[in-house]
Amino acid sequence: MEMGFVKQNNLFDFLLDLQSQVIHVSKGEIAVPIYYMQKENLKIGDTLRIKNDKAQLEFTVVSFIRDVQMNPSIVSSKRFVVSDTDFENLKENFGVIEYQIGFQLHDPGKISEFTNSYRLSGLPQKGPTIDYKLLKTLNALTDGLIAAVIMFISFLLNIVALLCLRFTILATIEEDYKEIGVMKAIGILPHDIKILYILKYFVMAAGACVSGYIISLFLNKIFSANIMLYIGSAPKSIVQLIIPFLATALIFFIVLFFCMLTLRRFNRITAVEALRLGNTGESYTRNSFLPLYKNKLFNVNIFIGLRDVLLRFKLYTLLFFVFFICTFIIIVPINFLNTIESPEFVTYMGMGDSEILIDLRYTENIIERFENMVTYIEKDPDVEKFSTLIICKFNIINKDGYEESLIVGTGDSTVFPLEYLEGTAPVGDNEIALSYLIAGELEKSVGENIQLVVDDQIKMMQVSGIYQDITNGGKTAKAAIAPNHETALWYMVNLDVKTNTDEKIDEYAEAFYPAKVTDINGYLDQTFENTTSQLQLLTLLAVIIAVLVAMLITSLFLKMLIAKDSSQIVIMKSLGFSLKDIQLQYITRALVVLNTGIILGTVFSNTIGQSIISAILSIVGAPKIEFIINPYHAYILCPLGLIIIVTITTLLSIVSMKNFNMSDMNAE
Amino acid sequence: MNNILDTKDLCKTYVVNKKEHNVLNNVNLQIKEGEFISVMGPSGSGKSTLLYNVSGMDKMTAGSVVFKGIELSTLSEKEMSTLRLHEMGFVFQQINLLKNLDIIDNIIISAYMAKDRSRKEINHFAIELMEKTGIAELANNDITQASGGQLQRVAICRSLINNPKIIFGDEPTGALNSKSANEIMDMFKVINESGTTIMLVTHDAKVASKTERVLFMIDGKIEGEYNLGKLKKENKDGTQREQKLSEWLFKMDR
Repeated sequence: MEMGFVKQNNLFDFLLDLQSQVIHVSKGEIAVPIYYMQKENLKIGDTLRIKNDKAQLEFTVVSFIRDVQMNPSIVSSKRFVVSDTDFENLKENFGVIEYQIGFQLHDPGKISEFTNSYRLSGLPQKGPTIDYKLLKTLNALTDGLIAAVIMFISFLLNIVALLCLRFTILATIEEDYKEIGVMKAIGILPHDIKILYILKYFVMAAGACVSGYIISLFLNKIFSANIMLYIGSAPKSIVQLIIPFLATALIFFIVLFFCMLTLRRFNRITAVEALRLGNTGESYTRNSFLPLYKNKLFNVNIFIGLRDVLLRFKLYTLLFFVFFICTFIIIVPINFLNTIESPEFVTYMGMGDSEILIDLRYTENIIERFENMVTYIEKDPDVEKFSTLIICKFNIINKDGYEESLIVGTGDSTVFPLEYLEGTAPVGDNEIALSYLIAGELEKSVGENIQLVVDDQIKMMQVSGIYQDITNGGKTAKAAIAPNHETALWYMVNLDVKTNTDEKIDEYAEAFYPAKVTDINGYLDQTFENTTSQLQLLTLLAVIIAVLVAMLITSLFLKMLIAKDSSQIVIMKSLGFSLKDIQLQYITRALVVLNTGIILGTVFSNTIGQSIISAILSIVGAPKIEFIINPYHAYILCPLGLIIIVTITTLLSIVSMKNFNMSDMNAE
Repeated sequence: MNNILDTKDLCKTYVVNKKEHNVLNNVNLQIKEGEFISVMGPSGSGKSTLLYNVSGMDKMTAGSVVFKGIELSTLSEKEMSTLRLHEMGFVFQQINLLKNLDIIDNIIISAYMAKDRSRKEINHFAIELMEKTGIAELANNDITQASGGQLQRVAICRSLINNPKIIFGDEPTGALNSKSANEIMDMFKVINESGTTIMLVTHDAKVASKTERVLFMIDGKIEGEYNLGKLKKENKDGTQREQKLSEWLFKMDR
């Protein structure tokens, strides 16, 4: 992270405190970005010291900053607010000066036009250009992503709830089958019988929706704590109450509608059939399928359990879908988290994977410093390989024929290659690789040409490849051309070393000061720290929710199943099956369905789940995320955890079969 | 001959709506090995309850039941299951076959669980039993594809698959027509003649007349016993036993 010290602005781009008021500090006081408040656990009144060989300044923390431009952790600069006097002191003794030139337009729709005019004006243009759209994207990448994942998990849980509802209604109808037959026989209309049942679910749905709405008002505070800290609360309006209310009402009506749909089954029940059979007359018409007498391999109880799942798979569909969805809810966030935390994620930031990263920017004699750095590295025997990249601003001719600036990494990008969506790295000096978003904007694909302005001349560059990049608004390029030091933004060196990385980092940090020297993990940590910690929380919650849902549904389902199978259980007991034998049959059923759900859920997580995450991240420049899977977590720990939990839940849920009385079989 | 089953002061009490109902009151019963006995009595006399308590399918409230020298109340649930699997067979009025298995699977399942013989031997024995009872052609049929009489024969084959020491029958002919009922009782007779003890519960004097000893229960007690085996002469149509029994029952019922 780069720390910038500023005075409060006078006209716009105000730096606000946690009450969203403009910050004013006095001499000796400092306002600190929220990023550092969280990272260093700072409080009001803490002391902050800035020192070098020349001077030392002490400040008291008086406020924390909401900075619309630099809030997100993906932005590598942060602004601290000091008084005018302290600013002059800092300017004299510390760091380098960086200028930020900002404009507020009367008409935000004219941003492109204004940007173009500025570019042609000859006014200072070194440095990245950030506009309103990019600011929104950067903030969306952090908190917006979390909101999207929460909504997605909620959607899946609603589907599970609807499936359970259907199962419960059907089970209830089955239990009441005879009574329904009696009601029909004595002349009660099916419509009126339906109303009796609907009323019950109406009351339950209404109660659940009201409770859920009230609970969400409290839970909302937890989930939006981070976004409220960084961005503040939206102005209070009636919309804040109406939208959740409408969402709750929508769920209520969907539930009712679903109940009515399921209760159409009443129309198919005839009074005679219900009275005579007393049940839905479920028939096992394929009893010759997988006959026991041909079974040579399996234990009888395991065979019976497995066979039952295959014979009555329709019955187990609910349980299968729940396990499938639970696996999905667990695996996708885990895989996504592992992907973001993995060093290979750097490929989605338009960089190759190297051990050490050196970043030099905004310092005096930067070219000389850079050249000295390169010479040092070239002579260092500990270096295995290295590449230099000078990130410059070039102009290109866009599809409308106007000049537009583009951040281009110049240098050899084949030493630490990144993964290309299409094509390859640029090699010749007439080749250029584009990021996904800029390629889409320019409507260019591999093999086509773009016009790059080099030394005031138009140069035709062939697109050699398209890669993913979520940095700098997702719009960057790479070319093996000579850099333009006039418009160079920063200088980077990537390297792999033969010795201990940490020691090398320390050596280089001292030798190349003020360049920033990190390893890839450190770089990713800094960039995605906030997102990663939110995602960790979300993953933990997703796992807890999925486990609880799996336990609840397994328990509910098995209780209903053994109630349904009670007569068969009692017959088996009379034949000499022990309780353990019958328990094994039901554990087999649960685990067969669970493992099928886990296998398919895992496959879908790694395909559809991956595609969903890619679709979300395509907005910011990474349309083809490939999960970096930790096989221990994804294929061993999670499935094993689910198996243990489901087995225990099964045993607890079927304990009531102990009380099934064999003498009730033929009660007098 | 040894006693296969011995009960002493057997009691069974049910609590319904906090009220106690004594269904069995100090029942003392001895059944010898190889006997063919039936238990009769009016509805609610406790005859089925007696059957379920002596077979270990229900837990007695007090007293003792000794089966082949083993006190049933001392057995764990697993031990009781094992005893039932290996030593006892059951035939019920409702037949009570497993509806998710076909006919041959219903017969062999408890033998597969017992693991006394190889599966091949069990399958072979099952076919043999089915042939003896005249239902071999129904082996791969679903249980919905057989008549009541045929299904009861399936139940008898199931009860015999593990060569049990005793077979318990709770109104085994109750749901059958008279022709099927006769056939079933003839089968029981053959089984008994091979040495298997049989204890039936029935309300049908015709059925009971085919057994050797009839016990009569009233209000949870054995009030009388009639030994049909002592009858030396029998009519050609076999009605004398039934007649004698009916006369005795008439006296008991007063």
